Amino acid sequence: MLETVQKVDDQPEKELKLTKADFVSDVNVRWCPGCGDYSVLANVQKVMPELGVPKENIVFFSGIGCSSRFPYYMDTYGFHTIHGRAPAAATGLKISRPELSVWLVTGDGDGLSIGGNHLIHILRRNLDINILLLNNRIYGLTKGQYSPTSEQGKITKTTPYGTVEPPMHPLRLAFGTGCTFLGRMLDGDPKGLQSIFKEAHAHRGTSFVEIYQNCLIFNDGAFNHVSERTVRDERILLLEHGQPLIFGKDKDKGILLNQFMPEVVTLGNGITESDLVVHDVTNPVIAHILCQLDYPDFPVPMGVIYKAERDTYEDLLTAKVEEQIQLKGPGDLKKLLHSGHVWEIGATQIDKDLGGIDDFRQDLGVEEKAPQGIWQTGLMENAVSSLRPPVPIIVAPSDSVAHAIRLMHERNQGAAYVVEDEKLLGMFTDEDIAKKIIGHDLDLEKVSITEVMLANPMTIDMNDSIAFAFHQMEIANRQHLPILKKGKLVGATSTQRLLSYVVGR
Amino acid sequence: MEQVATAKRPSVSRKELETVTILFAGDSGDGMQITGDQFTSTSTLVGNDVNTFPDYPSEIRAPAGTLPGVSGFQLSFSSYDIRTPGDVIHVLVAMNPAALKVNLPSVEEGGILIINSDAFSKNDLKKATYTENPLETGELDKYRVVKIPLSSLTLKAVEKSGISKKLAEKCKNMYALGVVFWLFDRPLNHTLSWLESKFNKRPEVAEANKSALQSGYNYADTVELFTDHYKVRPATLAPGVYRQITGNQAISLGCVAAAVQAKTPLLLSSYPITPATDILHEVAKHQNFGIKTFQAEDEIAAICSTVGASFAGVLAITTTSGPGLLLKGEGISLGVMAELPMVIVDVQRAGPSTGLPTKTEQADLLVSIYGRHGECPLPVVAPQTPGDCFHMTIEAFRIAIKYMTPVILLSDGYLANGAEPWLVPDVNELPDLQPNFEENPEGFTPYTRDPETLGRKWARPGTPGLEHRLGGLEKDSITGNVSYEAMNHQQMVDTRAAKVRGIAKDIPLLEVNGEDKGELLVISWGGTHGAVTSAVDSLRAEGKSVSSVHLRYLYPFQKNLGDILKRFSKVMVAELNGGQLCQVLRSEYLVGAISFSKVQGKPFLITELRDRMLELL
Repeated sequence: MLETVQKVDDQPEKELKLTKADFVSDVNVRWCPGCGDYSVLANVQKVMPELGVPKENIVFFSGIGCSSRFPYYMDTYGFHTIHGRAPAAATGLKISRPELSVWLVTGDGDGLSIGGNHLIHILRRNLDINILLLNNRIYGLTKGQYSPTSEQGKITKTTPYGTVEPPMHPLRLAFGTGCTFLGRMLDGDPKGLQSIFKEAHAHRGTSFVEIYQNCLIFNDGAFNHVSERTVRDERILLLEHGQPLIFGKDKDKGILLNQFMPEVVTLGNGITESDLVVHDVTNPVIAHILCQLDYPDFPVPMGVIYKAERDTYEDLLTAKVEEQIQLKGPGDLKKLLHSGHVWEIGATQIDKDLGGIDDFRQDLGVEEKAPQGIWQTGLMENAVSSLRPPVPIIVAPSDSVAHAIRLMHERNQGAAYVVEDEKLLGMFTDEDIAKKIIGHDLDLEKVSITEVMLANPMTIDMNDSIAFAFHQMEIANRQHLPILKKGKLVGATSTQRLLSYVVGR
Repeated sequence: MEQVATAKRPSVSRKELETVTILFAGDSGDGMQITGDQFTSTSTLVGNDVNTFPDYPSEIRAPAGTLPGVSGFQLSFSSYDIRTPGDVIHVLVAMNPAALKVNLPSVEEGGILIINSDAFSKNDLKKATYTENPLETGELDKYRVVKIPLSSLTLKAVEKSGISKKLAEKCKNMYALGVVFWLFDRPLNHTLSWLESKFNKRPEVAEANKSALQSGYNYADTVELFTDHYKVRPATLAPGVYRQITGNQAISLGCVAAAVQAKTPLLLSSYPITPATDILHEVAKHQNFGIKTFQAEDEIAAICSTVGASFAGVLAITTTSGPGLLLKGEGISLGVMAELPMVIVDVQRAGPSTGLPTKTEQADLLVSIYGRHGECPLPVVAPQTPGDCFHMTIEAFRIAIKYMTPVILLSDGYLANGAEPWLVPDVNELPDLQPNFEENPEGFTPYTRDPETLGRKWARPGTPGLEHRLGGLEKDSITGNVSYEAMNHQQMVDTRAAKVRGIAKDIPLLEVNGEDKGELLVISWGGTHGAVTSAVDSLRAEGKSVSSVHLRYLYPFQKNLGDILKRFSKVMVAELNGGQLCQVLRSEYLVGAISFSKVQGKPFLITELRDRMLELL
């Protein structure tokens, strides 16, 4: 049977003495000086040794764009794939090797524009993959075109008079897909980044973290409205599970719900902390509201917005595979190739579909000991159905003897079978004609067939062997033998046919 | 059960025939595919060689009774080795006027038309665009017409089962099958037991269908419908265990076999597309082999997850048809650049664009060989029969793993849905595909190559010390790091090309069917093998100097092809496209090959091939 790929996490536990330097590859980082990506990279490398995962079990995926150079700078396994498709490539790897720790770095163009479809579906499927979307609201690698998150009216090289497109909101999209972990962080917040990376890693399921990332060259200051030192306390809502939604330099502002609508309030004047919304990362309603909060009407939430427990795609799929192995046993290639409608060409033609031969052998205590000729083997191995019995003549109990005899004559068969409600009641054969009809003064048109038939005759199942048919006929001392399938008449055989079979060999 | 007794019956003669072609045709809801399937199964059971070609409309249920709604199942069965489903039809079973109209041109003069006379009302005729009833105009005089009121006889036959009238009417295909079973002296028991297991949860439906089948058989047996009763002797096929197999089934089993022979799990990632979807259906059933399947969100995700799975170190395969192959182009390029093993199956259909999705064509050859940006060579192979799809799937994996490259396997609609008896291979004789995964960190670089194959190492994540990065950017020839170096790019392009060309050393030589030199050489590839070989064999039997070669390797070609071409005065290339292989052969070998092309969504007829060959001789 197949060996599963070596289970790396089964290795004996050993102290992992990794440091940040172990995760720095020998490739020179080539982002523009001052790019927000540096901070993200440094903090990822800082966190990696703390995760307790051997570095050979870590894989970084990316698509195309500035941020997608990321895997080259990590001394782990990595794959810089093609534009927008990293979620699909990562999915293929994670399905195949669920034990690996998979990270995916993408940007607003790669993840939301060309790769939007893949992003939606990876989030929906809930594979245990950590996605870092570095949102700089511009196309950097192609040198300054608007992206799906650029603000409406933005002047770029492709929109010299301002874009007419409204921007999309990555977290709202992610929430809509059923994603099980949502978070957001600023590129300039090392502690915040490290903390959310650890939380994303700890979460089993797809983690989606949007990082506000500054592009110094093509979109400098895109997030100044929240990141600027002088305003950040007033414009950022730092989330903490179990704590009220409070912000402001003096921690004097908060969010409460008025008729389900979020509202910014100042504490005091009768408003206390207990009036504020308490953050609960497991509450989807709160998550939905937090996704709606944005500048300028509200502070921008940073931290873990939502976390839900749900089975991962790869766990469910692996369970299905194991269930099938339990149910059917480990795959047997020979058996599979021989399944379905199979027949043999050679000395004997055997319809393997019919089966049942081995059981009969066992019942009779037949063992393969005495050397047997081909036709003898055929008698044991071939089912009566392989005699290709003709369609039997069937009459109703109410039919006359004359009717039965006419049919037997017309179809040149030696027996008629009396059937009612699919049940075989009896048979009437040329032996009965000889014994019960000839020389008796009967009005054949009026005598019912039931009066002269042999009731409850000896039968045989279609899967029984030809040898068994001989046996039954010998016991019954009759020339004809009805063949049943699951108790219903499907054919008949006769000494004549059995003789033809033997002679035909 | 209905018993029709006749006082005196004419003596029914039994004629022996070598080969017979039957077409069951009706509405797409009439169950013609099932009917054809059952006749095929039973014919193989009695030992005939059978070749089939289901032909169904792309609209699952076009309006009933109309010409576009006609669905057909054509099959030939024979007492000798048979390779195509037949050029002309000997027996047409037409369930309605539309089925008659569409298929009559293919029926031989003197052929048998079994017609459901209940379906020839004015309205039925109008839907089939008949202005007059063909059963009355005499236009069918050159055929042997057997009119059977199939609908009403069926209703009567299944009366006792108590099923609804709507369901009862659906049994008429079984009634027709019963008639044909009698005509060709087939036993009913296989179909009877099939019906029982098919409807085991609805015994009344099983009974109704069984009654219809038996009544049809008895009807033909007792009524003076036919004066001839045909028998086709068993074919003399090589001894062994056989099963009926379609190309799609064979590819599916090939996937399972490849995983077993590689002792490695397999992931099949696909997006549903006609006519390739059956492979995903079938492989999905075999999870107990450790196989996983992934229905991706689109064609691009299907190829990219295949690339990801290959990076993970499992056997990776994706299946599609023409439009999907185009969408996969960029992902395949990534596979070529990253030098990862994977198989891309293209079950070709008639194009361009959506084209004729259910009809066959071989027009994706050039896009398979050349259809990617940059210098992006990869091996292309093509099975020649439904059963060969099994072996070529394994062969595609063998090449992919050994040479660390994506491989395209070109099947087509004709192979995919056509069926033939298949000699089940001995599992002990299948090749060993076990990959030689790199485990040793000592001096490891991701692009170090095997000097013989030029394949690089397959290093799986999870292996300590082999951490490395792959990507679509050009790689340094040793370290695998990104390199923009001019001469490095030249070297890498040359190396990737040499690696793929070198596969020619590792594939069997081409065998010529017939004399190895002479007047005319006919070249074919893919699903046209049967028709071309039959046509060539028949001309050779008449003493003509014609031979053929059939290519299963389209890129690179087999080493001896060039030599073979030189030994014939004329070369004809027969293919179901505008002359694509012909174009490649002309440019590769500077040979004046003549194209015989056909793009009608239909396979070649033996007669049209013969006619063209005769013109060239």
